[in-house]
Amino acid sequence: MKLNSVEDLNRYKEILRNKNNKSKKIVVRICSTGCRAFGALEVLDTFLKEIKKRRLNDKVEIRQTGCHGLCAKAPVLAIDPLGLFYQQVTPIDVPNIISHTILKGKILDKLVYKDLKTGESYPYIKDIPFYKEQLKIVLRNCGIIDPTSIEQYIMRDGYQALIKVLTSMKPEEVIEEVKNSGLRGRGGAGFPTGRKWEFVRNSKGRPKYIVCNADEGDPGAFMDRAVLEGDPHSVLEGMLIAAYAIGANEGYVYVRAEYPIAVYNLKIAIDKMYRIGLLGDNILSTGFNFKLYIKEGAGAFVCGEETALLASIEGRRGTPRPRPPFPAEKGLFGKPTNINNVETYANIAPIILKGAKWYSSLGTKGSCGTKVFSLAGKVRNTGLVEVPMGITLRRIIFDIGGGISRDRKFKAVQTGGPSGGCIPGKYLDLPVDYESLSSKGAIMGSGGMIVTDEDTCMVDLAKFFLNFLRDESCGKCVPCRIGTQRMYEILDKITKGKGTREDIDLLYMLAESVKDSSLCGLGQTSANPILSTLNYFKDEYMYHIDYKKCPAGVCEELITSPCRDTCPINDDAQGYIDFIKRGDIDGALAVVRKTNPLPSVCGRACYHPCERKCKRGEIDKPVSIRLLKRYIADKGKWIPLKVKLTKDKVAVIGSGPAGLSCAYFLVQKGYKVEIFESLPVSGGMLAVGIPSYRLPKDILKRDIDVIKKMGVRIHLNKRIGKEIKIFELRKEFKALFLGIGCHKPLMLNIPGENKEGVITGIEFLRKVNLGKKIDLKGKKVLVFGGGNVAIDVARVSLRLKADEVNILYRRGPDEMPASKEEIEEALEEKINIMYFIAPLEVIGDKKVTGVKCIKMELGDFDESGRRKPIPVKGSEHIVPCDVVIIAISQVPDFEMLNLPKEIVVGNKIIVDRDTMVTSIAGIFAGGDLVRGPSTIVDAMSDGKRGAISIDKFLRGEEVKFVPEKLKLDRLYKLEEEVVNWDRIDVKKLKLKTRACSFEEIEEGFSDKEALLESQRCLQCDKNRYEIK
Amino acid sequence: MSKKLEKILKNYPKGEKKLLISLLQETQEELGYLPDFALEKISEHLNIPLSQVYGVVTFYSQFYLKPHGKYTIKACQGTACHVKGSLAVLEAIQNELKIKPGETTKDLKFSLEVVYCLGTCFLAPVMMINNQYYGKLTSNKVKSILKSYR
Repeated sequence: MKLNSVEDLNRYKEILRNKNNKSKKIVVRICSTGCRAFGALEVLDTFLKEIKKRRLNDKVEIRQTGCHGLCAKAPVLAIDPLGLFYQQVTPIDVPNIISHTILKGKILDKLVYKDLKTGESYPYIKDIPFYKEQLKIVLRNCGIIDPTSIEQYIMRDGYQALIKVLTSMKPEEVIEEVKNSGLRGRGGAGFPTGRKWEFVRNSKGRPKYIVCNADEGDPGAFMDRAVLEGDPHSVLEGMLIAAYAIGANEGYVYVRAEYPIAVYNLKIAIDKMYRIGLLGDNILSTGFNFKLYIKEGAGAFVCGEETALLASIEGRRGTPRPRPPFPAEKGLFGKPTNINNVETYANIAPIILKGAKWYSSLGTKGSCGTKVFSLAGKVRNTGLVEVPMGITLRRIIFDIGGGISRDRKFKAVQTGGPSGGCIPGKYLDLPVDYESLSSKGAIMGSGGMIVTDEDTCMVDLAKFFLNFLRDESCGKCVPCRIGTQRMYEILDKITKGKGTREDIDLLYMLAESVKDSSLCGLGQTSANPILSTLNYFKDEYMYHIDYKKCPAGVCEELITSPCRDTCPINDDAQGYIDFIKRGDIDGALAVVRKTNPLPSVCGRACYHPCERKCKRGEIDKPVSIRLLKRYIADKGKWIPLKVKLTKDKVAVIGSGPAGLSCAYFLVQKGYKVEIFESLPVSGGMLAVGIPSYRLPKDILKRDIDVIKKMGVRIHLNKRIGKEIKIFELRKEFKALFLGIGCHKPLMLNIPGENKEGVITGIEFLRKVNLGKKIDLKGKKVLVFGGGNVAIDVARVSLRLKADEVNILYRRGPDEMPASKEEIEEALEEKINIMYFIAPLEVIGDKKVTGVKCIKMELGDFDESGRRKPIPVKGSEHIVPCDVVIIAISQVPDFEMLNLPKEIVVGNKIIVDRDTMVTSIAGIFAGGDLVRGPSTIVDAMSDGKRGAISIDKFLRGEEVKFVPEKLKLDRLYKLEEEVVNWDRIDVKKLKLKTRACSFEEIEEGFSDKEALLESQRCLQCDKNRYEIK
Repeated sequence: MSKKLEKILKNYPKGEKKLLISLLQETQEELGYLPDFALEKISEHLNIPLSQVYGVVTFYSQFYLKPHGKYTIKACQGTACHVKGSLAVLEAIQNELKIKPGETTKDLKFSLEVVYCLGTCFLAPVMMINNQYYGKLTSNKVKSILKSYR
């Protein structure tokens, strides 16, 4: 049918609406565009067949629509009028959906959106956090209508805006309205749309052209694709209105070659418009003529630049030319041309219908309306979102996007594609608008947002963009052609460990000149990815340059294996797991001992950062590396390492992990090492800090005995400053390594904390570990703190028969620094953790009877991106108790140590972190003493580096850091298939017995379990090592 | 082949230079690639010097001067795919087919191309074989997908 007048169109709309209201009741809207890759068409097909089979055609409409936005959960569908949303639907689910949901109104929980954190189900679209925050103008019909049906577009007020301008507005009035709306171009630069139209209208040449830039080439942007695929008419209506406003009768849509569905749907849409009379001559008898053509791109990113795009439409090489003249003056075929992008045009019809005032009331003053963003990368809810301008990045990424997948740490968000920049965590509360983003060195661009996490290397990301840009540089101007290539080469060098510090200066210089002298936007902005990553993540560049390592574990040349690179002492996990696979446990132990002086300890109490980086974790769960190490240490044969002690004498102060590790590596180099320990036992915190249910005393003794057998002498009860003076030691020993740790507790500094019944966590643990009797039977214990010490203290209290144990922490569960595993175990043991609470005063006459506390809430974000806890006024209350244990933190005990003043600053000893040298020749230090309370394995790493430096020092070499080249050698090349079983759970003591005993909780792997678990290792370093 | 080309040329008015890219696209669609004789004919038909036609053909990544595989694999190396490990996926494809980007297998079954962003970042890492998308790829998944095309 042909619509010959405005009345025709309105009548047609009424007919369609009436027919629709009378007929079908339930509509199933299935995304048939983006969701295709996950089998949406199969789901659609099954629905159509089932509906036909069950003769439900009159009751149920199956509609194929465009993108619903929540692409991460593809294939998705919505059911009206129930307002339901189902995700990850497969053809098998279809009969159930029809029988239960469509016919009986029952919700199928399996298909419902669930919050990953709380597990809560959200069956209704209106409640789903992803949709709740959104405001859809551009995407108003996406996912609602069938994009191939012009009728459905018309039913939803489609082409009403066109009628309005054709019948009641002068072209100038249309331009005025768009100007007043504050709409700015959505393609990237943000030029005011109305003003651009005015320029074109006022340009003299004839004819004039309208062009839609649908060459969405920014990697990471897919909003235009979604609009073209899901609601092509919204764009075309905008183009018609623009044509009327500027006086054009011919238009082109330039679409990327990579978007076949978009081209297909556009062709259908344009075809229908011609047939129905919305394109062609004398449209709706208003005297307005307009013809529209599709031009398919042929694969060139630079064609997104407007002058290059025009050249391409004209059939030429798509190279840009200098502006001015701007296309508004001399554009397509040398005539005045208006170019806007897809999203800009899609905004026009609503502005005309609802008015400029309405539109400009949305968003911020300088950036009106909404913006569509494509969320991708390491975010949970990848997909399309449309939000009012001015919303914060945090709300987009964390509230709508659901946060970072796999609970990784957010690093930065890259906005605006290759011309854009990245924004780090500290600016997450930045409002998203054109100006704010540029103020931080990024741009709005077309709206792509790539979220990166701790596993993304920023140097690699910059290199990626430069590789892209040098590839896509059209070659017309020299600065861009050569400059992008050179910048890429430098970045490539850095990621291969061959970079120097001078390269950074060179990058800055090149960036400046390429920016100043390139012909078009591609070249002018090509250095942005480098400049912005350098701005926020220079330390990552320096790490590549100085240490020849990639902290994120991405740069191929700089990694051995993720587990090994992450381990502070570079334990070769894949190496020893390889031996377990072959049943050679003794061989495995030998591999461990090459790098690790305390395998039995680490197999139990290490916080295993290796497992966090394990590649297996990307498939299901990481390999249980820590427990495999424990297995090796428990089952392997400890062959004494042969050492010849022929060199100088070295003194080590403190027998904790730092000191033991330093001694271990020094004796292997031939030095005579004596350790001085103030406590009556050796092991430092390992002995008096960690409770024996986590690290049994005999196990610790085993590791230390091995070190002693190698010739290390340990003097107990020798406190420096008391029994021995430091200057005496320096006479006898050629070098000194200080590793006294942090054994002095910090107090809360509140009134009453000296009362009887108050003890510090570190004192408490020390007493218990040294066998002092403490009876907490029937007592109520309050523990203050949120770290591992607080958890240990609480669990020990429980084992000392306390009646009730509560941990009070001033922040929330997400901020708690204690290890997740331990928190879980504590909760299992019925220890109560109270969050957002802080102590004010300890109450009681002589003895404690309670603590006056105050509730806390989270305030503003600080520089580190953490929210500060602030007290809630008037929420003071008293928590009754018999014992208070303060476990907030600890510092080194310098008392009596009489250290030279120049090396102590505050509560730390100052060293060069790479070599552990202090400012006094011959004195080295490491562990908690230089770091503050830290981990076992970090202390061990310090000890090892100290040993390397002491060796250099005593041999008269310059003590400087040289990155260690890790050797990778294996006996065999593995070509095994990946096994599919899950991580083996370790057996633990039963809850009942464990909560009242100091017996070790974990049982450790059996031979069979260890073998099965070892086979889960992907041996992901296999392409890198050489076969012996 | 030349008959097919003749048929196409009938729809394009002589000397209509702006239609060059469309004509090249249609020709390639029909012939699979752009053989020399086709470029010569097109140059003659549209009255554009052959050198310029060649210039356009080599400018755009979509045009092929050599016979192309039955299946074109577009391995996405866009930003989202990159941060999700698309290099390993590309490597797997290369290992499986023993060709590099820009090459075609000897049996003319597969051609491998690297593209930047297919606009399906939510599927990252992703590849396309002709018009079919494959998302959330791993090396193993790639192997089994390619097998199904053999």
